[in-house]
Amino acid sequence: MPDTSSGTILQRKFGRSDSKISALGFGGHHLGEAPDEKTAVQIVHEAIDGGITFYDNCWEYRRGKTEVWMGAGLKGRRDRVFLMTKTCPHGRDGSLALQMLDESLRRLQTDHLDLWQVHGMAFDNDPDLFIRKNGAAEALEKAKRDGKVRFVGFTGHQNPNVHLAMLKTGFPFDAVQMPLNPFDANFPLSFEKQVLPELNKRGIAVLGMKPLSGHGDAIKHGVITAEESLRYAMSLPVTTTITGIDSLEVLRQNLRIAQKFKPMTAEEMDELRERCKPDAADGRYELYKLSLKFDNPEARLAHGFPLDTQQIEVKDMLGATENTGHPFPEKQIQ
Amino acid sequence: MAQQIDSAREIPSGDVPKKPLGKTGVQVSAMGLGGYHLGSAETDQAANEIVAKAYDHGVRFFDNAWEYHDGLSEERLGKALRGKRDGAFVMTKVCTHGRDKKIAMRMLEESLRRLQTDHLDLWQIHEVIYQNDPDLIFAPGAAADALLAAKQQGKVRFVGFTGHKDPAIHLRMLAHGFPFDTVQMPLNCCDATFRSFETQVLPDANRRGLGVLGMKSLGGSGELVKHGAVTPEQGLRYAMSLPVATTISGVDTMEVLNQNLKIAVNFQPLASAEMQALREQCRFLASDGRLELFKMTTKYDGKVGREQHHFPTTQELPI
Repeated sequence: MPDTSSGTILQRKFGRSDSKISALGFGGHHLGEAPDEKTAVQIVHEAIDGGITFYDNCWEYRRGKTEVWMGAGLKGRRDRVFLMTKTCPHGRDGSLALQMLDESLRRLQTDHLDLWQVHGMAFDNDPDLFIRKNGAAEALEKAKRDGKVRFVGFTGHQNPNVHLAMLKTGFPFDAVQMPLNPFDANFPLSFEKQVLPELNKRGIAVLGMKPLSGHGDAIKHGVITAEESLRYAMSLPVTTTITGIDSLEVLRQNLRIAQKFKPMTAEEMDELRERCKPDAADGRYELYKLSLKFDNPEARLAHGFPLDTQQIEVKDMLGATENTGHPFPEKQIQ
Repeated sequence: MAQQIDSAREIPSGDVPKKPLGKTGVQVSAMGLGGYHLGSAETDQAANEIVAKAYDHGVRFFDNAWEYHDGLSEERLGKALRGKRDGAFVMTKVCTHGRDKKIAMRMLEESLRRLQTDHLDLWQIHEVIYQNDPDLIFAPGAAADALLAAKQQGKVRFVGFTGHKDPAIHLRMLAHGFPFDTVQMPLNCCDATFRSFETQVLPDANRRGLGVLGMKSLGGSGELVKHGAVTPEQGLRYAMSLPVATTISGVDTMEVLNQNLKIAVNFQPLASAEMQALREQCRFLASDGRLELFKMTTKYDGKVGREQHHFPTTQELPI
């Protein structure tokens, strides 16, 4: 087993800027699944030493726990990483988005973000609500002006048409995040086919996510291996591919792939798309496009959708789960 | 759909009007009785009474599906229509969800037995909601072939398909040019604003001369009413005023039936300005699909279709 604990990962240019980020990004959501804060900190330290420079997070993940844990992991190492988090107004006012920003900065123990994105553009009216007067677009501009964030963007996993409508607002985004994996390309609602070329044309940094198509069911069912799926996503014309990391084992697995990464050939990518085609046609491995499975309670509440009470985030919100380790939210960072 | 109504008010004398079913030459009642909710009615007796009263007031279109309540809905309708079969227009749906003609024909026999009849007036392919369904349905030896065979054998008079998810899927179905007689789709005051069957599919279906069956006039479970977008009367009258043959409405209690009959008996369509006002009234709540969960989530997707498409169960993926 090669030692991954120190190494480098291919760095790519972040959009039109001079900044560079690692081709593999650290997904913050899964960090909340670590057994405790101490383990989470250890994971972040080893990820940095292993060459991951891009760190993803979000105001609404696990009621703030993942930002708090990542902040603890980045203490003293902030300058070595490119830090992103997301704001979650979900159509509500820009002032709310800015409140969330201040909270995120406190939790992450930093005075600025490298990238701040509007989280979860899922609904057909999100672009209108974003660009409206007093909407989140004004918050992005203000945060940039105030020096609290260097770059701004948006994310979403539901519908490529919503992404295209966001671009049509004319807002000058530096980055856009979306699901990219071998199943997406074969589904009628495809980010790879519909959105990726448009972003490349505009020079906007592309952040791929869900390289294992969400919860990795396709891998469990033997359609594809984790390595193939991740390499496919990283071989697309993107800046980075964000993947969830919840343990040292998963981190090391990802580092092994990323440190020796060579892009797939066009033929290899074609072969993989073909293999996934039969299982891609009805979206069975991309449930995030067809249900609210991956949408956080905050988004559902803001848009008046019902909650799924079995979902872990909803249980967290309702206090129905007992967090082991860090006693969030009792211990708030000042 | 269980909304408060003033039971004291009488249902007017007269009948639910009839409308032509596309170019079939047949007329059907402008309101249809939804079959799913017959299975939700408390008892067989309650279902019987609902069917009898609806029939007496001129509701003659009866909807059902092979998979509703594992057959209970069809059985109940079969019993309730004893002695009334000739006056009724009976539809049920086949639930192959991508499987072959043999399975479809077996389902047809089972439906006929449960419905206690030797023929259907209309047999439709149920729940065309997955993006690859059109390909599976039109594959050689699949569901489309079953429709043709059943028609040829005289077991069904007319054929069609249904779905509640995505207008684009309906359009792909229609583009095959298959001789469908009918098509069923969600039509309500919110739909016109959001992933709209009314603006994208209805004109195409009308142009082709298909009989259009509207459904989910109040959102599937009364969501439009519960969230204050419309009153039941506004919602139903809107749906019934569109260029459709019938509007299928699910009824599981006598209260809901009375409410529906008060609207449907002697029904007069809304003026186009009234229709536009209702669309405007719903526009904000319609714009993200929150009241049309059947388009936005998996909440309304049936068990058999999920199994065939390897989707998680309703318990595992409730929305």
